[in-house]
Parts: sequence; structure tokens; C-alpha cells
Amino acid sequence: MEESVSGVMRGLGGSTAERAGVLYSEHVQARRAAADRMFAILMVIQWAFAVALALLVSPYAWAGKTREFHPHLIAAIFMGGGIAIFPVLLAVYRPGWVVTRHVIVASQMLWSALFIHLTGGRIETHFHVFGSLAFVAFYFDWPVLATATVVVAADHLIRGLLYPESVYGIPNPEWWRFLEHAGWVVFEDVVLVWFCLTGLKEIRTIAARQAQVETLKESEEAKSAALEMVLKEIQPSYSGSRH
Amino acid sequence: MTRSRWILLACGALVWVGAVGLGFKYLLDYSVEAGTPASAPERWPTESRIPAPGGAYTLVMTIHPQCPCSRASVTELNNLMALLRRDRVKGYVLVVKPADFPDAWIATESVRNAARIPGVDVIVDIDGKESSRLGAATSGQVLLYGPDARLRFAGGITPERGHLGDSAGRQRILSLVRTGTADGKDSLVYGCALGATICPPRPHSSNTGM
Repeated sequence: MEESVSGVMRGLGGSTAERAGVLYSEHVQARRAAADRMFAILMVIQWAFAVALALLVSPYAWAGKTREFHPHLIAAIFMGGGIAIFPVLLAVYRPGWVVTRHVIVASQMLWSALFIHLTGGRIETHFHVFGSLAFVAFYFDWPVLATATVVVAADHLIRGLLYPESVYGIPNPEWWRFLEHAGWVVFEDVVLVWFCLTGLKEIRTIAARQAQVETLKESEEAKSAALEMVLKEIQPSYSGSRH
Repeated sequence: MTRSRWILLACGALVWVGAVGLGFKYLLDYSVEAGTPASAPERWPTESRIPAPGGAYTLVMTIHPQCPCSRASVTELNNLMALLRRDRVKGYVLVVKPADFPDAWIATESVRNAARIPGVDVIVDIDGKESSRLGAATSGQVLLYGPDARLRFAGGITPERGHLGDSAGRQRILSLVRTGTADGKDSLVYGCALGATICPPRPHSSNTGM
């Protein structure tokens, strides 16, 4: 973008600027609704994956020769379904709504927590948190990154206080230890917030250019119409003077 | 949106948050549900099939081959043995197998991984006789006997059920082998019951195996 957004906007007339604003809102809204739909599909895929993972890794709990369904399998079916259902319903019935994306983002971070549990705290599964944050940036809405960060920090804080060994492996970690985990999330957030703001700026520039093009087109059309009218007006007198 | 829809949505959100919260609590409670602690003999049992400690530490882990939680115990044993590779520690993994079950029943990832750990021998323990001799009742139970054949540690080496990571058990074993002392001689053990009992004890039960 050679020209700045404000430069482009300054160059627009009142109605063009208004039109640019409308186009910007439409573009952003369309992107956010598309992201909602993407997450709705992702929620269902994650649910299926969680059940498959539990079936593969821990289908049964054993006691000697006897076995019963493993709590992880039950959790994958019911908790996975529970985590997915509310955001999916919102994505279907209220796509693009601000509440929808905050609920979706909170659910996505809960999926990370569930996957980490189902895989026995594997360090590799923690990458789901960071992958999810990148997906969340598709919304071009930095406050949803704050929601994601709060959910991750709250999960670590609550578990650190009530089940410290489940997070840190030691029974008496320092109270502030959750901040270390949340800090790495914030580290990624910084880049993603910048990405969101830059993305919005680009959408604004595109909307402004589109509005300009529309205005020029309208003005050209108006000129052509006026020219045609003039031609029509002068044509009879011109043909009359020839006879 | 109308007021009644807002109220409906708020109620739905509250129910959802509550249900998901309860689900996580159920999972977390399960993950800290400790197994029955070992009642290990203070001295190495002379009738054991495993060679008695002779000038080195002997570390024994008992596992139920099908227990999904014990995959983490075996991985942690691998990590522990790697940390102790310069110390004189001999490891054994007892794989409990009912006599009337086929050999394929113990051909699991946990057993294969245990067999790959340097310095560790895998022993198939028919009907859990050897495990009973050592007083083990839970898959993932670790017993550490000193060079003098005296029991130094009994407990688990995972931070919780089926979870990887640093644990009090690992730290205590490392400290006992390297310095001869530790801040405790036991830890909670997480895993499936080796015997026939189906009900594990409640969460946070005392687990003083010695």
C-alpha cells in the first residue's frame, strides 16, 4: 500500500467516505461470519478427533482382568460435545455477532485443555494452544485474543491452586507460576494483535479504493448519460439543418 | 434481540459454563485419584526371582500391560533411567499377566517401550506373584531398594494419573540415589489396579507405602 489509509480517506468526498465505511463494515462482517463458520466446522472435527483419540489411546480402564470404559472416552464424548454445541449453535444462528466469536474463542481454548488431558499432558499437545491463537486471529478482532488469553490464564491459575501437580508436576508451585505460561501466550498475542490491526487497515484501504472506483464509475455513467442527452437534443436540429 | 431472547441466551451460557466446568472437575478429580499404595517389604524378599541388589540400587516398576495410565509411568521411567545413567541403578519392569490370558495380551505399547529402556529388564509376572511378593497393588508402582537391600522408596513417578511431567516421586528417587537422602520416601501412585478390585480409593487419599 503506497498511500496511507488516511490519505485515501482524505481524498474521498463525503458520500464516498460514507460508502467506504459501509463497504469496510461489510467486508469485516463477511470475514468474521466466515471465521465463525470455519470454527463451527472445526469444533465438530475436534469432537470427532477427541473421540477417536480416546478410543485409540485409552478406551478402557482396567482392574486386574476386568475392564470398563475409560473416563477419558466418556469425557471425549460428553464433554467434547458440550464444549462444541454452544459455539456451533451460535455460529449457525448468529454468525458475525460479537458474542458468537468470544464464545467460539473461549471454546477453542477449552478444546486445548481437553486435548492436553486426553493425551496425558503431552508437551506436543500444548501446541494446540498456539495453533488455536493463530486461527483466532482470522477474526481480525484483537479483543478475542484477550478472551483466549484470559481463558488460558484462568485454566492455569485455577488448576495451579486446586490441582497444582496436574499443571506443574509439583505440589507447591509459586502462586505466580501461571503468569509464566500466560506470558508465552501474550508473546504470541503481540504479533497477532499487530496482524489484526494491519489486516483491518488493509481492508479499510480496499474499501476506500472500491468506494472511489464506484464513485468514478457513477460519475462516468452520469457523464455518459448527460452526453447522450446532449447528443439526442442536438441530433434533430442537426439533421433538420442538413435537409 | 428481544429481552426474552437475551435472558434465554444468558441462561444457556450459564448452563454451558457450569456443565463444562463440572466436566473438567470430573476429569481433574479422576486424574488425581491415587491407586492403592504398596505394602513393600522393608528388606528385599529372598524368595524373589529378581536378582537381589548387590552393591547397586535396584528399581522395580510393576505394570498392568493394558493400563493406559501406565504408558506415562513407563515414559517417566525412561526419563528417570536416562537421568540415572551415570549412577549404579539396575531397573526391572514386572508385567503382570494372568496365566489363562494369551501372550498377545501383554504385547502392548507400554511393554514394548519398557523393553527399549537401557538398563531395564522386562519380566513377565504370571498371575502377579512377584508383584504380590513386593506388595505392589497398582500399575506404575515403583520400588527402590538400596545396595544394602533395604527399601528406600515406594511410590509413583507421574505427577498424576496418566500424565507426563516432573513429579515428587522422580525428584525423591534422584535425590535418594545421588545424595542418600530425600524429603520423603514415598509418593502417590497412579494407575490401574493390578488385582481384581475395581474401586480405586478416593482422591487425595493417604499413600504411605512404607
